[in-house]
Amino acid sequence: MKEIIRITIALTLSCLLAGLVIGTTFIFTAKAKQHNEHLNVQQTMLGLLGYGPQRPAAPELQLHQVHRYIVKHIETMRMGYMLPARCSGGGPGYVWVELDLNGEFLDRHELALTPEAALSADDRKKALAGILDPGAEADFADTMIIACLGDRRTAYLLPGEFPGFKTFIKAMVALDADFQLLGLEVIEHEEDPGLGGEITQDYFKNQFVGKSFEKIKRLTVIKEPLPPDYERYLKSMGLGNSGLSESEAADIRQRYKEQDIHALTGATISSAAVTNGVKAMVKKFAYRIQILDQALADGDVKVLF
Amino acid sequence: MAATTKTNTQLVVNGLLNENPIFRLALSMCPAVGISTTVANGLLLGVAVLFVQVFSSCTIALIKDHIHPRIRIPTYTLTIATWVTVIDLVLAAYLPVAYKAMGIFVRLIVAFAIITMRLEVFACRNTVAASFWDGVGMGFGFMFGMVTLGAVREVMGMGTLLGYDVLGFRPMLFFVLPAAGFFLVGFMMAMFNYVETLYNRRAKRGS
Repeated sequence: MKEIIRITIALTLSCLLAGLVIGTTFIFTAKAKQHNEHLNVQQTMLGLLGYGPQRPAAPELQLHQVHRYIVKHIETMRMGYMLPARCSGGGPGYVWVELDLNGEFLDRHELALTPEAALSADDRKKALAGILDPGAEADFADTMIIACLGDRRTAYLLPGEFPGFKTFIKAMVALDADFQLLGLEVIEHEEDPGLGGEITQDYFKNQFVGKSFEKIKRLTVIKEPLPPDYERYLKSMGLGNSGLSESEAADIRQRYKEQDIHALTGATISSAAVTNGVKAMVKKFAYRIQILDQALADGDVKVLF
Repeated sequence: MAATTKTNTQLVVNGLLNENPIFRLALSMCPAVGISTTVANGLLLGVAVLFVQVFSSCTIALIKDHIHPRIRIPTYTLTIATWVTVIDLVLAAYLPVAYKAMGIFVRLIVAFAIITMRLEVFACRNTVAASFWDGVGMGFGFMFGMVTLGAVREVMGMGTLLGYDVLGFRPMLFFVLPAAGFFLVGFMMAMFNYVETLYNRRAKRGS
């Protein structure tokens, strides 16, 4: 009995000590880590839109963040959208729009939220608390980013996560205004290095580029080796030094446009996970944005995008 | 096993050759087989193991007198997990470039047999200094094994070395697959043993 107590105490103390060390490290590193992640996401977004060190972003480029919420309203459920809009003062602000589950416009409120404050989940929660009916609860669902040049929508950026081989894969997908896929970037993953970890490689993720919405809806993986010319094209995409002439590249693009995704050698599960994840993200988004646009038109809500 | 009488250099060489984690002890075969597909992968995992091994060995050597013998293994696992988390957080915060390349390797380490085994066999019976050098030796030994395997598999499987095309063609794609890792580890082990026999025979003849 005494032994058990000693073991329990020793193990508890070790766990506390370990917790203390990890906790302290977390406190000291959290801010820098968050900052890095933010920078990383920012860079990924610009990269997906085709901007980079050689090609700085156009000054009139605007990235509007739209936050989606699920609102529990005593008995019923509603969808809530936090949308960037011009507020009554004339400056940029946010407006809250509620839809019912059939996508019908229900209600709108102006939010006391600046674009900077809208980036923080806590500030958004505070702003929401002021306008929600008592008893209603809003749970954050996801964020999408609408890229505009002037007042023209050029692209949608969808951050999301889906299950991979072992745990969740965080990724971002870029679509153009017709939901054609502009690019895929893996932000964070824990697939096995050398096998599933290859999902971050250009020759895998660039296979998604240029797939039409119709194709994405039916996208699957095939277990066939990547043809050498296609691989060379995928690896050189966006680098501009492929050794392929314009017409050759266009020919390859045309030839493989309707092709499914070639699975990675030894990592079919990871490949299929990414393919299905992207497919689901795009399908759901296309469905939602159409409903949202319709509802905004019905409710006569003027938004910035 | 009593406290070691080896010098620091001997400890490092011991980890590299006599008790090489992969080729002599045959520990941590999962990563050795799964991840040593390229030189770069092998090197990064090697670096990650080196750091975690050294930090964990020193920690255990420091607190060895206070560990209750019945809960040795949980304590080791806890120590390794703590260091893995700390290294992961610090890398993510202050070395984002390194984190991008190494992050997934660091998180993979928690369950590595080689680290637990070194804590059990060496660190909990020796001084901090000796454990440090043993950790360094084991870390480099593991790295050496991973890089060797990675080099052979990358050249044979993909015709490249460190990402650069050296052969211009792919000799055998089979070498990239996990099964080839086993063949190669077996082959390397045989080589190590052969060299040892030769060495011993020569040493006997010399005396």
